Amino acid sequence: MQPVLSLSGITKFYGPVRALRDVSFEVPEGSVFGVLGPNGSGKTTLLSIILDVLKANNGQFLWFGQPGSPAQRKKIGSLLETPNFYHYLSGIDNLKVTQSISGRGNGQDIENVLQKVKLHERRKSRFKTYSLGMKQRLAIAAALLGDPKVLVLDEPTNGLDPVGIAEIRELITELRHSGHTIIIASHLLDEVEKVCTHVAILKTGELLTTGEVNDILQDEDVVELSAADPETLARLLTPLGKLELNRETNILSLSVPKGSARLEELNRLCFSNDITLNHLLLKKKRLETRFFELTN
Amino acid sequence: MLHLLKTEWLKIKKYPAFWWMLIIVALSYPGMNYAIYANGYRDQLNDKNMGMLLRLLPNPFQFPDVWQTVAFVSSLFVFLPAIVVIMFITNEYSYKTHRQNIIDGWSRKDFMLGKLLNVAIITAVITALYALTAFMIGVLNAGFANAFSFAGTKYIGLFFLQQFSQLSIAFLIALLVRKAFIALGIFLFYYFPLEPLLVQLAKKYAFGIGTYFPLEVSDRLIPYLRWFIRDEAEWNALLQQSNMHVIYTIILVGATWGVCFYINKKRDL
Repeated sequence: MQPVLSLSGITKFYGPVRALRDVSFEVPEGSVFGVLGPNGSGKTTLLSIILDVLKANNGQFLWFGQPGSPAQRKKIGSLLETPNFYHYLSGIDNLKVTQSISGRGNGQDIENVLQKVKLHERRKSRFKTYSLGMKQRLAIAAALLGDPKVLVLDEPTNGLDPVGIAEIRELITELRHSGHTIIIASHLLDEVEKVCTHVAILKTGELLTTGEVNDILQDEDVVELSAADPETLARLLTPLGKLELNRETNILSLSVPKGSARLEELNRLCFSNDITLNHLLLKKKRLETRFFELTN
Repeated sequence: MLHLLKTEWLKIKKYPAFWWMLIIVALSYPGMNYAIYANGYRDQLNDKNMGMLLRLLPNPFQFPDVWQTVAFVSSLFVFLPAIVVIMFITNEYSYKTHRQNIIDGWSRKDFMLGKLLNVAIITAVITALYALTAFMIGVLNAGFANAFSFAGTKYIGLFFLQQFSQLSIAFLIALLVRKAFIALGIFLFYYFPLEPLLVQLAKKYAFGIGTYFPLEVSDRLIPYLRWFIRDEAEWNALLQQSNMHVIYTIILVGATWGVCFYINKKRDL
């Protein structure tokens, strides 16, 4: 299947500062693709390039196999960095401008997206009177206008309260299930882990890794075990892999090569050595842990 | 093009500064023209020495001369629409909507064409206000009978071209500096006193170069008030010069927008 977006050797300099260096990856259709990285890693620069706001010094990107063009951008709902609207216009009038430029949606769609982001009651208020969260909701409404099949969202939960964050998470999951492709830049790893199927991790402009979230998280299998006598259990497991004992919980973490953990065999081994396990769990590594491993 | 015009109108029609500018212009044009009539022309008409001379000339506040008189007086107020033109483009930078318009699907050329239409809309509106003012003054002075003649109406086109040229320069300054108050400061300082000073210096030391300064090029489209020029040959030369300056102004407008399109195409947003 042709990727929705493919980047090849994207490099960008701001004067002497290198913001991106030779970044290449592909975004598969129907994925929720997270672009992760600490502040200053080049996430927004990368999204700005694929939306033609910035020009790359080198490399190219293709949307649906074609070089980027205004006609393609009209089909993509985007929120880049901050909500950018005319302060003197109301929410609904700002969306009319978005609709007029992009050709996405109609008058009824504008009403619908305002309801979806819970801004309908304040649709006639001027943008400058909105709170930070409301501004962000309007930007999300603009991105959703006309139900584009591809969305580019840069820090979409910025300024939202916990309820708002949960709503956006649900919305993204809902959009993915209805076949949308979503490219999302964020440093909220917990949120990304909950919604993304794929990630690309950047650090100071370099791509550290990219691929499916599960593949990136599980660079190794970690099995948690515990028994009445953790010392005996540890001696038995030492030859199998790297061991760590949590003294507070008396739980042992056994790290073995990815895909090699067999819980049944481990259980049988312990039992045949007169050790009865009271805890056995194949633990999924948190994205946060993996992120720090990669970026530090 | 219609689509760009529609989008720009969506941005303009609810911009309070635009309507305030229109109200101020709508008051300034007739107000200033009346002031020139009452305190300039009428007083001199009643003057023992000047009155005789002035009566030999056509009445500048009657058709067809009223078109030129009002065009000249009204053109002095270009700084009013210039404020709105500068605010419009600098707003795009401060709200970052210049980026959002591109993200939403305009090309950089579309964005700049939209701005060109924006300046054209403002110029058209102030030209309509000028034409209405000139028409009303003409009718008040000479009645409806003389109103329906095309004589002198070429100044409607010349006024549009002059204002469009000068507002385009204001736009270019705003595009370059991106900050509303700095752009306003530069434009107003250049409008007065810098360029008039440079024109005078050029007249004295640099032969005819003064004629080609950015605002002076289009200023010469509309000659000075008729009753200020006693010499018929000088007046005819000014009228003749106006024809040549139509071409110069069109070239300048083309160059100004060429630079605007080039800057917008090349720089990061």
